[in-house]
Amino acid sequence: IEMARRVINKKRHLGLQQLSAFADTGRTFLGPVKSSKFIIDEESHESVVVGSTVRLLESLDLSSAVGQLLSEAVQAQHNTYRTGASTLLLLVGAWSSAVEECLHLGVPVSLIVSGMSEGLDSCIEEVTSLQVPVHDVFDHIDSTKIFSELESLNVSLCPFLQIASDTGLILKERDLKDVASQSLTTCSLSERPVKSAKLFRPQATVGADKNTSQTPKTLRNSLPADSRCRQSVLTHSRHCNREASDQWTSRHGAAAPQADRCGDLGELAVGLSHGDHSSMRLVEGAVRLQHQNTSVCQGSWTMPFTFDISRVFTCCLPGLPEAFSCVCPGYVTVVSMFSATVLEDLQNQPLGVVLIEGDLTENYRHLGFNKSANVQTVLESMKKLQQDSSEQLWTNHVLQVLVKFNVNLVLVQGTVSEHLIEKCVHTKRLVIGSVNGSVMQAFAEASGAVQVSYITQVSDNSVGRGVSVTFWRSSPLDVGDGISRMAILLKTEGINLVTVVLTDPVTAQMQTKEDRFWTCAYRLHYALKEQKVFLGGGAVEFLCLSHLQILMEQPLNKGDQTCSGGLHNTSSWLASSLALYRPTVLKCLAEGWHKYLSTVICNTANYSSEFEARTFIQHHLQNATDSGSPSSYILNEYSKLNSGVFNSGISNEPEQIPRVYDIVTPKIEAWRRALDLVLLVLQTDSEIITGSGHTQIKSQESEGFLFL
Amino acid sequence: MSRLEAKKPSLCKSEPLTSERVRATLSVLKGIVASCYGPSGRLKQLHNGLGGSVCTTSQSSALLANLSVTHPILKILTTSVQNHVSCFSDCGLFTAILCCNLIENVQRLDLTPTTLIKLNKHLLSLCTSYLKSEVCGCRIPVDFSSTQILLCLVRSVLTSKPACMLTRKEVDHISTLILRAFLLTIPENAGDHISLGNSIIVPLKGQRVVDSTVLPGILIEVSEIRLMKILPIKKSDSLKVALFRVSLSGDLSDTGEGSVVVSYGVSLENAVLDQLLNLGRQLVSDHVDLVLCQKVIHPSLKQFLGVHRVLAIDRVGAALMEPLSKVTGTQPIGSLGSISPSSYGSVKDLCTAKFGFKWFFHLIPNKATVCSLLLCNRNGTAWDELKLTCQTALHVLQLTIKEPCVLLGGGCTETHLAAYIRHKTFNDPESILKDSGCTSTELQLITEAFCTALESLTGSLEHDGGEILTDMKYGHFWSVQADSPSIVNWPDLLTRCGCGLHNSREELNWSFLRTSRHPFAPLPCLPHEAVGSANNLTLDCFTAKLSGLQVAVETANLILDLSYVIEDKN
Repeated sequence: IEMARRVINKKRHLGLQQLSAFADTGRTFLGPVKSSKFIIDEESHESVVVGSTVRLLESLDLSSAVGQLLSEAVQAQHNTYRTGASTLLLLVGAWSSAVEECLHLGVPVSLIVSGMSEGLDSCIEEVTSLQVPVHDVFDHIDSTKIFSELESLNVSLCPFLQIASDTGLILKERDLKDVASQSLTTCSLSERPVKSAKLFRPQATVGADKNTSQTPKTLRNSLPADSRCRQSVLTHSRHCNREASDQWTSRHGAAAPQADRCGDLGELAVGLSHGDHSSMRLVEGAVRLQHQNTSVCQGSWTMPFTFDISRVFTCCLPGLPEAFSCVCPGYVTVVSMFSATVLEDLQNQPLGVVLIEGDLTENYRHLGFNKSANVQTVLESMKKLQQDSSEQLWTNHVLQVLVKFNVNLVLVQGTVSEHLIEKCVHTKRLVIGSVNGSVMQAFAEASGAVQVSYITQVSDNSVGRGVSVTFWRSSPLDVGDGISRMAILLKTEGINLVTVVLTDPVTAQMQTKEDRFWTCAYRLHYALKEQKVFLGGGAVEFLCLSHLQILMEQPLNKGDQTCSGGLHNTSSWLASSLALYRPTVLKCLAEGWHKYLSTVICNTANYSSEFEARTFIQHHLQNATDSGSPSSYILNEYSKLNSGVFNSGISNEPEQIPRVYDIVTPKIEAWRRALDLVLLVLQTDSEIITGSGHTQIKSQESEGFLFL
Repeated sequence: MSRLEAKKPSLCKSEPLTSERVRATLSVLKGIVASCYGPSGRLKQLHNGLGGSVCTTSQSSALLANLSVTHPILKILTTSVQNHVSCFSDCGLFTAILCCNLIENVQRLDLTPTTLIKLNKHLLSLCTSYLKSEVCGCRIPVDFSSTQILLCLVRSVLTSKPACMLTRKEVDHISTLILRAFLLTIPENAGDHISLGNSIIVPLKGQRVVDSTVLPGILIEVSEIRLMKILPIKKSDSLKVALFRVSLSGDLSDTGEGSVVVSYGVSLENAVLDQLLNLGRQLVSDHVDLVLCQKVIHPSLKQFLGVHRVLAIDRVGAALMEPLSKVTGTQPIGSLGSISPSSYGSVKDLCTAKFGFKWFFHLIPNKATVCSLLLCNRNGTAWDELKLTCQTALHVLQLTIKEPCVLLGGGCTETHLAAYIRHKTFNDPESILKDSGCTSTELQLITEAFCTALESLTGSLEHDGGEILTDMKYGHFWSVQADSPSIVNWPDLLTRCGCGLHNSREELNWSFLRTSRHPFAPLPCLPHEAVGSANNLTLDCFTAKLSGLQVAVETANLILDLSYVIEDKN
């Protein structure tokens, strides 16, 4: 076997060119306004709609080495954080073209590498000033509980509405009643959409009132129950949070203003929704439900609440109007009409449940069990047996066990024997297959069941009790394949599981919708977990730009350790010629965020061309550097929410623009990953093709290849 | 009907090195390894061209393992480098480049292979005896009471592999972790015979490098679901452990060829399960607290053990078996028959830990020299490179504890050594000539070829068009921007030498490495100087470099000695 080596770095860096070409495809997925793409397979004429970077890359052919590294980087970001993939892709594109430009200008590769990593480190340090602490966002939920038990009950049982405008409210409410009245506990449906109205409330309306802000704590404590509305308005003010009073003085007394805190879940959620209010409202609902559930379970014992995303589950029901999307405590799933017939008998009574880890079929054996192929069973007597006897026997045995332990519900992680399902329906038992692992876990915790692999393992201690089952909706659904099914709801007292039902009339959009929900969910998850967020809407990127501007103008002190520009090898001549190339390299780094900001601005259609957007950014950049302290400039601009620099550009009415937030670590990691990838490709000078791959090269033009 | 085919005649080529194709492929190979060398070395993307995984690397071990070379001469070269790397981990590229340089330089001379080989051997022994001698000027003793030198050594290994994609802060973090991991493998009470333990590298891809950490003991990865089922364990001062090598999954052990016939109604599966449950009963009655199995445990046996408050952990994997057996003092059990009480062992404690998104059981041993290095890096290819580099660094530390000295890095050892050899053969040629029976011209030519090979090796450290200078006092390595004016105030243009020991303000004279110099005796560095600036030295592993030097010269000699290549074409 021979091996071929291709010289990448001939005149232009092929790898960097490939990177920027790949990255350009994802440009429209950045920012709050995304455009979907159709991807068409020319051979099979199949097409898919993609709405996110990850889905896009899944559908593209990235089999080249650079393409694979890119998709690996995007996958790694996505699998770890579930967000930031578009940012990563855009920066990869911007940086790879900028780095190529640097190569043209004759900057040594090692200096580009060290200069850019050092610059990014410095920017990451700088942007900590735009972090907003997230604390006590659940205080309000507690007070909600104290003030109005009824309303909080509504929150938990009524699906969250998806109302974009006031039109069609009545019609939707009828559907909603249909859903709600089927719920186990009857609940009074509030006339207005619970909580959701709050999301659209303009922010910072009362904030200017300095007198109220001086004494926020006493004010809030004295609030009577009926002034909830007023309270929630106050909490939206940036100055009216619990510890805001000290910050107020520091803000106005000291020279450097700080980003103040975010202490309200609603505000945080809207800020992190990045224009996708409908998904975020569902996420917020899920968080509130989970919080309520854990505070009920824990009683007075207070442990800091964390949003456990593994206990949120999505159930996609294409074909239903969007208004049916909702958040439900418990597990919503779809079963066949045939299985659903047993619900009439099983409703309104606590059921015994068995949880099966693998498949529930006769031939299933646990993972790691190797069946011997060479065992034959022979009959000693001449007695004939029925053909399906062994399956029959097994089914009967399963039924016996279920009867013995009084089990009416079986949740199975894998597949279930059709024959068994049929038999169970006849004896009024419900068997559900393909249940998600964390759903199983939630039922195990709440019902006391122990997950088992085989039905023979079932004993009194492994059966859970007290699960209830009901129809989620009384009418059948068609989940896109022409077969009618029923959506059912399973729950048990204190179960830590929230199902988010996602509906969409257009089946093709379902995947996008689910992806967007999870993006929002993970954003909120990380914000709550890290207890800090960035001021969003481009503030962070803008600060990086102005910080780099300052760095470029700063002279380097020779011999200073900290100014070795991230160069590992300080004794090389490169260290001494660093000062010469530094501004060029930093400018190249700045290009990344320039491109980011102008793309976001273009995508949100505030400016029609990238050129206009760049002029606009340049103008503010000049102002920021002139002001002496870019971070104060940004904070000031930020407080004038409608000034246009940092708003998301979604709302038509300027006073309805809420604050925008961004998550911290995922964002910074996306930057790092993007730069790592570009620098990895930059430093690569040849591609070595091993094994039999060379035969294909030979048949093509062999120019640029060397053979060993 | 069988058919006999006439055998093809063997192919015989004489003087293989003179062939144009061999020279071309050798120079391609040299191009690949030389472009990878050093902290600013260029990376290579290795893949099969068919959409297989991509490995981005500049390490000889990864590179040579994936290169498929055909020519016997190249095979000799790559195999000896790989052999060296498998024994010493470090200095693989050094060996490969030096060997290529030697072949290239010596080929140009019109001398017989016998003379070449004889003199090369002499020069090699001059080098090795100098490096091993007390007067050696490029060697620093290692003081184990301080971490400075050791940290520099580890840092030098890490920074020489740019595909790890580490920032300076991350290099510091990982260096500290590696040193700590190494120290954890040294037994506390060492007798005459020290046996070092091992550090297990646990992958945690996708996380930040600074999230990496070191823990004493062993980490066993488990899924979260399984973790939830953990039952409280009886607390005494230690936990009794049984370690199974045999699968407890309940399948029939190898039934061999042919078929097994059983009568209807007899279930072999149930029979095996009964045997497993009997085993379970014995474990319970022996008061075992923890059952570890390399393979799978049958769910029913797990349930049985769980009911009796015995924690069962399965799918531990083959890689962990040896350290587990060492840490717990168990004899891995290989059969389902009854267990001898002597096979049980113990651990001090067991707890659960979460790192990143993975859950682990953390086994804390009573006293043992095993630790786990949780290694994080952002992407897969950078993680693979970092893992290899960490293994090299750990190995280098082990070699250093055996031979407690280090060589100056950054090219200084090579230039210093070349200066020493030049000086030695110029001033004292008689001792060599007397032994070898060569002429002094021959000696001069070979010395030049040998020393240029060493010096142009250091030139491979430069990938951005810089030039190399050497000072006329210590013979160290200095790099300077290309096209610098010939008359220049060098101290202003230069900063420090390659290893970082000397700075340009020390009133030195410099000369371009490519120009000829009058031979001089390079001065040794003073130990206190080394300690004074020890914080930022670039250092190389003594044992690995010495072996690399020997392997390079001996392999070059072997290749130069080849007069025929005979290939069996059948």
